Amino acid sequence: MNKRKTHKLLSAFLGLALLALSPVSLLAQTQDPTIPAHPRDLKYTQLTYTPPKREQYRHVLSNGVVAYLVEDHDLPLVNVSTLVRTGSYLDPVGKEGLAALTGSQMRAGGTTSKTAEEFDEAADFLAASISSSIGPLQGNAGVNLLAKDVDNGLGLYFDMLKNPRFQEERIKLAKSQLLQNMERRNDSTTGIEDREWNRLIYGANHFSTRQSTKPSIDSITREDMLAFHQKYYQPGGFIFAVSGDFNTKDMIAKLEAAMKGWPVSKAPLPEVPKMPYTSVAGVYTVNKADVNQGRVSIGHVGIMRDNPDSYAIGIMNDILGGGGFTSRITSRVRSDEGLAYSAGSSFSFGTYNPGVFRASFQSKNPTTSQALDIMVEEINKMRAGKVSAEELETAKNQAIEVFPRNFATASQVAGIFAQDEFTKRPADYWSTYRDRIRAVTIDDVQRVAAKYLQPDKLVVLVVGNIDEITKGNPDKPQYSLLKIAKDGQIHRIPLPDPLTLVYPTAP
Amino acid sequence: MKKISLSLLALLLCAFVAAAQKVPVQEVVLDNGMRLLLVPRKGDPNIAAGWVARVGSVNEHPGITGLSHLFEHMMFKGTKTIGTSNIDENLKLMKEMDDVRAQIRQEQQSLILKARLGEITDAKDPKFRSERYQGLLTRFDELTKREKELMIKDEFDRVYTTAGGSGMNAGTSNDFTVYFINVPANKLELWFWMESDRLRNPVFREFYSERDVVHEERRLRTDSTPTGKFDEQFDSMFWQSSPYGWPVVGWPSDLEGITREEALDYFAVNYAPNNLTACLVGDIDPARAKELAQKYFGRLSRGPRVPEPVRTAEMPQLAEKRMVAYAETVPQVRIRYHTVAEGHPDDFVLDILASLLSGRTGRLYKSLVLQQGIANSAGAGEDGRKYEGLFELNAVAKPGKTPEEVEQALYKEIERMQKDLVDANELQKVKNQYAAGAFRSIQSNFGLMVQLLLRDNTRGWSTINSDPAHHQAVTPEDIRRVANTYFKPENRTIAIYNTKKAAGPEDPALAGLTDQEKEQVGRMKGMLAQAKPEQLKAFLAQLEQQAGSAPAEKQKFFQVVKKMLEDRIKQLEGGKQ
Repeated sequence: MNKRKTHKLLSAFLGLALLALSPVSLLAQTQDPTIPAHPRDLKYTQLTYTPPKREQYRHVLSNGVVAYLVEDHDLPLVNVSTLVRTGSYLDPVGKEGLAALTGSQMRAGGTTSKTAEEFDEAADFLAASISSSIGPLQGNAGVNLLAKDVDNGLGLYFDMLKNPRFQEERIKLAKSQLLQNMERRNDSTTGIEDREWNRLIYGANHFSTRQSTKPSIDSITREDMLAFHQKYYQPGGFIFAVSGDFNTKDMIAKLEAAMKGWPVSKAPLPEVPKMPYTSVAGVYTVNKADVNQGRVSIGHVGIMRDNPDSYAIGIMNDILGGGGFTSRITSRVRSDEGLAYSAGSSFSFGTYNPGVFRASFQSKNPTTSQALDIMVEEINKMRAGKVSAEELETAKNQAIEVFPRNFATASQVAGIFAQDEFTKRPADYWSTYRDRIRAVTIDDVQRVAAKYLQPDKLVVLVVGNIDEITKGNPDKPQYSLLKIAKDGQIHRIPLPDPLTLVYPTAP
Repeated sequence: MKKISLSLLALLLCAFVAAAQKVPVQEVVLDNGMRLLLVPRKGDPNIAAGWVARVGSVNEHPGITGLSHLFEHMMFKGTKTIGTSNIDENLKLMKEMDDVRAQIRQEQQSLILKARLGEITDAKDPKFRSERYQGLLTRFDELTKREKELMIKDEFDRVYTTAGGSGMNAGTSNDFTVYFINVPANKLELWFWMESDRLRNPVFREFYSERDVVHEERRLRTDSTPTGKFDEQFDSMFWQSSPYGWPVVGWPSDLEGITREEALDYFAVNYAPNNLTACLVGDIDPARAKELAQKYFGRLSRGPRVPEPVRTAEMPQLAEKRMVAYAETVPQVRIRYHTVAEGHPDDFVLDILASLLSGRTGRLYKSLVLQQGIANSAGAGEDGRKYEGLFELNAVAKPGKTPEEVEQALYKEIERMQKDLVDANELQKVKNQYAAGAFRSIQSNFGLMVQLLLRDNTRGWSTINSDPAHHQAVTPEDIRRVANTYFKPENRTIAIYNTKKAAGPEDPALAGLTDQEKEQVGRMKGMLAQAKPEQLKAFLAQLEQQAGSAPAEKQKFFQVVKKMLEDRIKQLEGGKQ
């Protein structure tokens, strides 16, 4: 049937092709008067878009648990994901890595009724992709499978959520893998950069900086994992996001049946710790002599997401370095000077703790200081002058036009609303989003740049061959790392022992 | 009991697969040879749009390696309309820049010759540049500045961004170059305008600075990662004659030398409409899309000649090859065999064979990781490309085990495949995963668009509908036969990665020294280990004398060396007592 359609079409075009052979139409082909000379003269139909409403998909199950269900019958697949109120911020001191191990071993270590091997075989035979993990501020568990297998698959999935076995051999294996990777912590400059950036911005003791070490991993037992799971994995801590090929009423019944008899607790969790640390501005370096490219991050602490200036800041950062090629940092560092493959900035808004402003790039040793200098210059320029109307329009249009992409698929719709519920985002957030973007003015952008970009507070981190980077470019001696350092110092951060993260101290 | 129910399920699945997977694609071929694939789908008001040029690094030759990829970058640099305020001036200027560049090239070549003959140490060191060379560079900088004045910076990007385009990017591989973006449903005509314009009127602005960007990309991905350089060497060692042997990003010497003229020649042949396929998936009206395709892409003229398939085929491998590397990474082994190109009947069998070996319930994990405990991870994969193919096994050794031990264990698993038929249930498990995977891979509009383009690049888009049956048809006998055909010792190339000691914690005694000084100290340490106490004492006296007249910034270095000598003497004399 489809084939016939194609054939018809082809012959229609063959007709056109024949016409095109006459000289008149050839001319028309090169200079079609209906094709405007510049795309700005193209006319578009108006596109109206209303984002989906949270209430439309929100269901409270009989045990009080919230589930977002979005049907989509295009493909015979079902996706269930569960957000869990837990996180590695709950790791006891000295047992860093407990939450992450608990999350991964729930999936890897079998259940009380199935050995790890039996569980894996059953999941693989169904071609069900089942996962579990615990991040800094939440746990995630998911299953994706063919609709016809939904009962079997949900059976396995809830068995994992409720009755993990934490099989000893799998724990031993996971620890061996963790320790092997831990030893390699000082190998890649990317890894070093991320670690030291977090330490500089959040301080060494913040939960997002604390990392597992050999002693902490060695000390974690199966009993610790059982207790951690017991404490946080119960329906009262769950929010479900379900999408795909199912009937909503049936799916609700399945979820309720799966949790039947599982006690629900609404006891609140300990709060996410606040950030007590103030970072110290300066130029910090980590030496890694065997690479030919420096990695640089500069920035400081940012804002909370409920800050009313967040919309203007988002637009400001787009213009500065967040908007791809059209943004200033990318345009100058990459396109103008060819100094880096990727160069840009991000300004994140935190839910529990302030986010971070961070601009970064990678450049060959001799030009690292030059690129850094340009970046600082652009930050200062952003604060000092107004952006152009064109820059503002580009950034605002982009944000507004791309908006529907947030809800492109059923699983995105379910996921975004479940996440909003998890972090208690105001219900009108999405319905008012575009108007708030539209309201941002050139003056707003300058005001927030002056207020929220803070050159005196810039932490500058450079990872690479520091001697070569300090030497700079003989052709351009005006750029130097030392010039960027306000206190006239280049601080050297030594590499720590990768297994204990103990840093050597200078004699 | 369990077994029976599983097999029943398997049967059901088989029937189900045969009935389901059909992606309804509408295909249009313009009279200039360009192909257009359309898949209307409901969802958000957006279109995943892209096109592929059937050219990649495999179509290059020595001297221009990396050109396909460099080209991908150039395609975002504007056209005769987009990106300039005065195209005539701009073209004149570019001509002048090319001329200066040609003269610079001569200067470079003469320095390279001198370096080759040992007359100078480094052809790139500025101190060896002639006055003329330096003058040309200054002249080129001036021209670059003037070009910038005529440019409307990144206009190509800005037009799309303002219109709500998102995820614009491109990718180059050995076999293809693909360009893609998501556009709001009402901007379909904009996409046709922009893409046909850059195919029709490209101007490779900022060519030489973009070459530097690509060089940075190479440093980022290859040079500055723990295994990048070694992986590249392994690739080149595996392929003897095939052009798959050079990296997509190109060799540094070629990147530095490629000219705009070479890029334009390459474009004329490889980016002609007869070598392109475009694809739209999402909120489209197919009739309107066809009309616009004819109107915009119909303007492109066929190329001067039809691009020829790659001529140079891989030579049959006659003897095992082995690379032993010391890198800052976990101890690991990679074993590669030459196999077949994508779409060969054995390619499907090798896919299934790889899946039997891989994953949580795959043979390698079960045997090497869980049962024998000699590896921490293990996997396998078939990589059928347009002209050739390869099969790779890899594993990370558990601490205390060597990559060579793991290598032997991998061969054992291969031998099992060569001797015994796989169990029907085990095979069915893998087939079930292929069946579900076929649906998963077409879930997103963007994913489907890219998949259709890549398939059309080699064997035609319709393989998306016909390939699943080939995977489902694989038998245990096929697997045993294929294992015996390709997994022969003389057909394999092995990479052993031993762990080079990480930079680790710094010796606190060396704090404050420059890297050069640290290196010197390291070398001395080695020499001191073999010296006798009398020699050491003589050296110490000499050192103290030198230190007296050394500049202030060298004092730290002398102190460190002195301390080292004293410690060593103490150690040796203490040992005597």
